[in-house]
Amino acid sequence: MLCIDNHVNKVAIKELGLLTMDDKMCNISKSFDSEGGDCSDADIEINNRIFSVESDEESVKRFNDQDNSVIWLNDEDFADDLENVNINNFFHRVDSDQIIYQTKKKRLKLVGKYVMGDLLGEGSYGKVKEMLDSETLCRHAVKILKKHKLRRIPNGEQNVQREIKLLRTLKHKNVINLVDVLYNEEKQKMYLIMEFCVGSLQGMLEATPLKRFPLFQAHDYFVQLVDGLEYLHSRRIIHKDIKPGNLLLTLKGDLKISDLGVAEALDLFAVDDTCYTGQGSPAFQPPEIANGLESFPGFKVDIWSSGVTLYNITTGVYPFEGDNVYRLFENIGKGEFVIPAELEESLKELLQGMLRKDPEKRLTVQQIRQHPWCIRKPSRDSIQVPIPPLKGDEWHNMTVLPYLVDHYYETQSNQEGDIQYFTERQLNEERRKHETQQSNGISQSNQMHQSSKRRWKKPMSCITVKRFPGCKQS
Amino acid sequence: MPLFGKSQKSPADVVKALKEAVNSLEKGDKKAEKAQEDVSKNLVLIKNMLYGTSDAEPQTDIIVAQLAQELYNSNLLLLLIQNLNRIDFEGKKDVAQVFNNILRRQIGTRSPTVEYICTKPEILFTLMTGYEHQEIALNCGTMLRECARYEALAKIMLYSDDFYNFFKYVEVSTFDIASDAFSTFKELLTRHKILCADFLEMNYDKVFNHYQRLLNSENYVTRRQSLKLLGELLLDRHNFTVMTRYISNPDNLKLMMNMLKERSRNIQFEAFHVFKVFVANPNKPKPILDILLRNQDKLVEFLMKFHTDRAEDEQFNDEKAYLIRQIRELRPSADH
Repeated sequence: MLCIDNHVNKVAIKELGLLTMDDKMCNISKSFDSEGGDCSDADIEINNRIFSVESDEESVKRFNDQDNSVIWLNDEDFADDLENVNINNFFHRVDSDQIIYQTKKKRLKLVGKYVMGDLLGEGSYGKVKEMLDSETLCRHAVKILKKHKLRRIPNGEQNVQREIKLLRTLKHKNVINLVDVLYNEEKQKMYLIMEFCVGSLQGMLEATPLKRFPLFQAHDYFVQLVDGLEYLHSRRIIHKDIKPGNLLLTLKGDLKISDLGVAEALDLFAVDDTCYTGQGSPAFQPPEIANGLESFPGFKVDIWSSGVTLYNITTGVYPFEGDNVYRLFENIGKGEFVIPAELEESLKELLQGMLRKDPEKRLTVQQIRQHPWCIRKPSRDSIQVPIPPLKGDEWHNMTVLPYLVDHYYETQSNQEGDIQYFTERQLNEERRKHETQQSNGISQSNQMHQSSKRRWKKPMSCITVKRFPGCKQS
Repeated sequence: MPLFGKSQKSPADVVKALKEAVNSLEKGDKKAEKAQEDVSKNLVLIKNMLYGTSDAEPQTDIIVAQLAQELYNSNLLLLLIQNLNRIDFEGKKDVAQVFNNILRRQIGTRSPTVEYICTKPEILFTLMTGYEHQEIALNCGTMLRECARYEALAKIMLYSDDFYNFFKYVEVSTFDIASDAFSTFKELLTRHKILCADFLEMNYDKVFNHYQRLLNSENYVTRRQSLKLLGELLLDRHNFTVMTRYISNPDNLKLMMNMLKERSRNIQFEAFHVFKVFVANPNKPKPILDILLRNQDKLVEFLMKFHTDRAEDEQFNDEKAYLIRQIRELRPSADH
């Protein structure tokens, strides 16, 4: 079977003076990297994103014209004929200086009234992209869910439906706002359009060496978390999966509780908050769940996970660890943990109150709010941990704009030569230059930074072959 | 220290000067114009101490502490609020900014200004009556909402007789004042969950008697806003006791059933969210059950045709289907 080392990933076609590496191929390499069985769907995605039909045909034509020793196969033929083709005739390894990259062409894409921007992140369910409402000019993020991917996640579809249903009824400064939901039956996709956030606490922690926030910053986030949690609880919703990864931040620094996929809404007339299931992240689960209790008070689950979250963002470590889930649950089940001695007394006391093994004795939201550590605002005595830049852009500029510029000023860019080619060597040089610039200090090279960026445009396009049927997991 | 011009005045000086100016403004004598000028000038000085300016940082904690102490001792905060209508437009805004900044001041876990106002609740009551004066209503509103963020102050306001004036204020004919009053009113009733729940429980009759008038208001905006807030209050888990009490009263059910038929679709929709609670109640008292049974067929028919164009709102359609099923299956209780 055909297999190409992802790290090398350099395939060229012999004697083809100019290798056209269009985006289509390039993006496939990405989906090939992540999961093998997804080619067809990735195809659709890419078609819509960047590729117009004309340019696609053009490139195919060029292949045919130039070299008859190369047979370019259609997707369908490819799979059938693969075994008959001598792979060595088909792909040739070439020196890196013979490889040419092409800048990615920005093509405007609309979904309903929304203009798509760049990728913000990726999860098991699909992608998250930036998006602009063309009517209100509001900046949003869109979670693109693919049906076939959802099916692979246990309770995937069910959880998404539950999340939509819950989010629609909620409105609070510290809970993510669901703006709109769109469906595309044909492509089997669902678009959840949400408030625009720049990142999660988890992402910020990971980007900082000590994996924790200075106290004033942790305090700011925690107080907002408690506000959001109080609101959720007042609406009878138990989140069940509070953790830094589910706490997002807006550009303004507002914290938004997100991902209500495993949340539970209590009945309006339920006498208490008894719950029977929990499917949140293991490290944040309370002893009652780790010990497999049949029923437990729900709101206190969120208190516990918020306690673990607070512990984590102030110390950089977890109160409970384990080599595997069983060990972890065993440790949580005992409810014994150590708080680093260097933490201030009132924070220690708060953590102890939130991480009490007995849910009945654990603090309530109101008690947390009135806790001295929450009331007292720590002074800003150190540098704030920043939100990590998105693709080198620490200002998080709107990524929809280049698409719009390209769309409306196309003639101009065509004169300049829309498609740019450069070799691996140039690319490496640019990259090196870029890196040294960054390490030299960001402020002084601000202008250069911008100009180099325009020319360089990120090596998103990297060459690959259209399809790798050999890697299908069937 | 600036090289040229007067050296910086001390907080005590500024507060003293401001107090004198406000006093003379209050008397309204011949020097009123000069007093007006002095008030504005000194307010700006105080504001700059707290917020800084484009080329000066805010003053140090020690200076700010001195300033706060002077403000408490001179009773100037109350004086400023009492004379707010006499101060010029920019000055009114400066008063609100100074007040809010001083209010937010913290020493460790203590909020000294909150403690101070607790001993001088007159400040709060004066602010609340501010809604009766068009020219200062919105300035008082921003200060009141800042106060409402503190549980101790919210409690004083809720439990005062003056609180019931809000039922008047939210209905005044000037739209911006009415909506500002409504947002303060809502803040007071929702911000501190336990406090609010206790308050509503203890003063249930009085509050809901007044509330009833809002729901029957001539003013469409008042009717709609108050209905929406009622829904939020009843559906808040902290107000469970209040909710069960509210949905046991047949008069409330009748009101909601009438509102379901209102001309405005928005009001119909909000009424639906309160009405559903009556139906979903697993322990409906007899009077409630009787009303529902008497109207069983009509209600089913009505709900079948109710807002059928909200096809995309799954939650609503689920709830509607649930209500229709519940009402259809209603049977007279066994004990009669």
